[in-house]
Amino acid sequence: MCGIAGVLFKQQGSHEIGKTLIEMLDGCQHRGPDSTGFALYGDDKDQLQLRFIVPTEAVARQEAIDNIGTLLARHGATIESEQSVGCSYQIAVNFEGDLLGFTKDIEEHAKLVSVGHTLDIIKDDGTAHELDQTYHVGEVTGTHGIGHVRLATESAVRPEAAHPFWATGFEDIAIVHNGQITNYWKMRRRLERRGFTFHTDNDSELVAVYLADKLEQGETLDGVLETAIDDLDGTFSFLVSTKNEIGYAKDNLAAKPMVLYETDDMIAIASEEVSLNRLFPGQSINSTEPAPGTHKTWSRSI
Amino acid sequence: MVTIDLSHTGITEANEQIRAYGADRVDVEIVNPDARHNIGVGLVEPITVRVKGSAGYFCGGLSDGAHFEIEHNAGWAVGDNIYQGSVVVGGNAGAIPGVAIRGAEIVVRGNMGSRAGQVMKAGTLCCGGNAAFMAGYMMYGGRIIILGDAAAKVGQDMSAGEIFVGGKIESLGNDTMIVDMEPQERDQIMEFLERYKLSYSGDFTKIVNAGKKLRYANAEPRTRPQPFFVSSKSSHYWNPKVQEDIWIKGEVGRYRIRGYGASKPVPHLNDIAFTRDISSVAPNPKELGDINLKTTVGGRFGAKPLSLSMPVMIAPMSFGALSRKVKIALARASRLSGISENTGEGGMLDEQRAEADQLIFQCLSGRLGWNVKDMQRADAIEIYISQGAKPGLGGQLMAKKVTPELAAIRGIPVGIDLRSPSRHPDVLGADDLVIKLQEFREATFHKVPIGIKMGAGRVNDDIKIAYKDGFDFVELDGLQGSTGAASTEVLENVGIPTLSAVQEAIDGLHEIDAGDDMDLVMMGGIKDGVDVVKMLALGADCTSVGTAAIIAGGCIACMQCHVGTCPVGIATQDPEHEARYDLDRQAMNMHRYFESLRWQIAAITKALGYDDVHKVNRGDMVALTPEAADITGLPHAPEHKQTRRPLTGLELLDRKAG
Repeated sequence: MCGIAGVLFKQQGSHEIGKTLIEMLDGCQHRGPDSTGFALYGDDKDQLQLRFIVPTEAVARQEAIDNIGTLLARHGATIESEQSVGCSYQIAVNFEGDLLGFTKDIEEHAKLVSVGHTLDIIKDDGTAHELDQTYHVGEVTGTHGIGHVRLATESAVRPEAAHPFWATGFEDIAIVHNGQITNYWKMRRRLERRGFTFHTDNDSELVAVYLADKLEQGETLDGVLETAIDDLDGTFSFLVSTKNEIGYAKDNLAAKPMVLYETDDMIAIASEEVSLNRLFPGQSINSTEPAPGTHKTWSRSI
Repeated sequence: MVTIDLSHTGITEANEQIRAYGADRVDVEIVNPDARHNIGVGLVEPITVRVKGSAGYFCGGLSDGAHFEIEHNAGWAVGDNIYQGSVVVGGNAGAIPGVAIRGAEIVVRGNMGSRAGQVMKAGTLCCGGNAAFMAGYMMYGGRIIILGDAAAKVGQDMSAGEIFVGGKIESLGNDTMIVDMEPQERDQIMEFLERYKLSYSGDFTKIVNAGKKLRYANAEPRTRPQPFFVSSKSSHYWNPKVQEDIWIKGEVGRYRIRGYGASKPVPHLNDIAFTRDISSVAPNPKELGDINLKTTVGGRFGAKPLSLSMPVMIAPMSFGALSRKVKIALARASRLSGISENTGEGGMLDEQRAEADQLIFQCLSGRLGWNVKDMQRADAIEIYISQGAKPGLGGQLMAKKVTPELAAIRGIPVGIDLRSPSRHPDVLGADDLVIKLQEFREATFHKVPIGIKMGAGRVNDDIKIAYKDGFDFVELDGLQGSTGAASTEVLENVGIPTLSAVQEAIDGLHEIDAGDDMDLVMMGGIKDGVDVVKMLALGADCTSVGTAAIIAGGCIACMQCHVGTCPVGIATQDPEHEARYDLDRQAMNMHRYFESLRWQIAAITKALGYDDVHKVNRGDMVALTPEAADITGLPHAPEHKQTRRPLTGLELLDRKAG
């Protein structure tokens, strides 16, 4: 039960995506006071960027960080830079090899929440502004991003259960989701049989893994969203982002709200217009509400 | 005309100002609305409010007599529940515009979202553009005019009213049909369009209810009464009730419907005993007045809490399921005993309001009898999500009870088998519920407690949602809770017992470190003061009694509540049957029953060694059965069964006297 937001600036450059998403999420924070999260897309970096959730207690934290170092060494990955902040430990690593095997092994032993050359997922308990204070989200620039505010209903309030979810094994893909996938266990078992592992009972993780699996098979994001609407039961509005794209899918019952606003320069999508209006204070915007059972994607210029 | 700037005025303050200007008949202009929620909610003055921009959810909601002009877009549920008055949306409207209106005129110049006019009762909803799917879903009356196209399932499950579509119709909903228009109908539509400056010259397709599903095909047959206490006593495997059930299913070919709650044995408060042999410390009746039983409910966020003379409320029961006289008798008994009465689903009666000192007004999914004026004279508001007797289902009121008077207060057609929606039009998740709760707070000026009524299902999750969403109190109803009509399969099998419910609730709140500021009111099988004390010791703050109150007030428990011909005049709307009910006498019987609860609660509290009923705790109790121990986590001590049965109030009195 949540609020979602996404923004994509069509032209390359350093747009204030952090500030934009903080505003949008603050606008719908009433939909989810428990936790907040951002998936932000910046410059294409040389090193692979990884972010882990680690304990906040000092001894346990150091143990987790040491453990991550051992894991990386096992795969011949070397740490180029590191930053330990809030509930997370972020590193840039030199790694050449099979990403799926690499991340699968790491995920079994550490709470890996973000993987990519452009993507950084920042999530924690608290509000958008609280996260900004800890992680300086507002300083992040880039071209696009998605965000989420969460009210935990069935799974626990823990940073790793917050959104966005990284599409496991597949770099630079993230999703945020508002709703409930009612054929969760059926779909999860189907994916588990295909070798995927799940790290939470959160149905949004399922959406991420589902999308990753399809994308890995070479389908386009647009095609994947189309099949998702048929394959996933329940009430949902979700946003997905890749290195160059952002897209949405909406269930056939339109039970979860979503409005979008597009200009020549940008596309903004949110649960409520109040979030979109935050970007254009004092103005009326010609927003539209996507029809039930629809999906769409947008690309930034490359 | 005055201006309120929402860029620096909070919505609560803005609504307060709007009301104050309304009292002086001064029109208001809202600038920088930026799609904020709940603009103008609760306004009952005949002024015009101009929103210079876009509005969020519930704009103009729960208002009466005012006119709203929204320059641009509106969010979900614009014009929610308006009686008289109008809302004009210059741009597009989100989902469920005109939900539950009772006479308002709602005009959306652009397109409108899904489920437009859901459960509307009267008035006009007009859309200049296209309507998304299920326009007119479950409407009970009034008129929807769509000048553009209508997406799938137009008029899904409508009971009455008319839908006129100018453009293409993707598909018709259940139980609807296309009929020819009356000549004057077109004139009336044209007059309406002209008044709102909408030009249209094409034809219309008129859609109405087809009348095939308004009543059950086979009525529930009349049977020899098998009182609740007889049918639930013998074997629950093969017994006369099961036999009758099978016979009747063979006749009607569907699930059966009856009143009352689950009749199968489940772990309950009888399976718990006090550790102290309270019979040996029988208190002096004269000292019982010193025991504090006072209970407040709903003070979490500074609203004026309900102030009860003991931890007991009357459970929500509707005017509809019960007769007018019984609702008045309950209200009187509640006043005489210093506790609260609850309207249940069917709206508030003037006599009920006058008799009850403290009255909770309940909001259900069908918004039947729900309105802002009664909200503003209630002492607490309660949003109903579900009830213990039938979690996940809406109410049922069989045709015999849907009399003209009852239909008028609820705003529905006379003589239908009323099956209320199973979920709220504007609450499809915990996130929407936050905004709905805020709408209620705005409409009642943040002055009265707002609670949530839940049937016990996934209590551990639900209680956390209730807490996080910010409710002042929760009324939680176990499997044993009764109803006026429900399918027997659901009554017996859906939900979890009250004992499990209270434990899950307490555990759930503990898991999120919720503290004790949200009051927990437990109901479902509370029959005496012993149960009340045990419930409080388990962690509840208050209890609520329905069945017991009705039985004290003359109910013979024949379980035929749904039929509408209640022999004692309780569960009926038939004047002849209602005439049998002796209001004055039964109100006193109920009052005396409540007083017996008071005596018992005080006596046990004293015997347990406390001066305040809110000090009783888990340490005072043990479980008599492995099941009860497993559910509650209390120590299993079956040896208390024989020797330490808690005495009833009368037994304690006898002992003292002897």
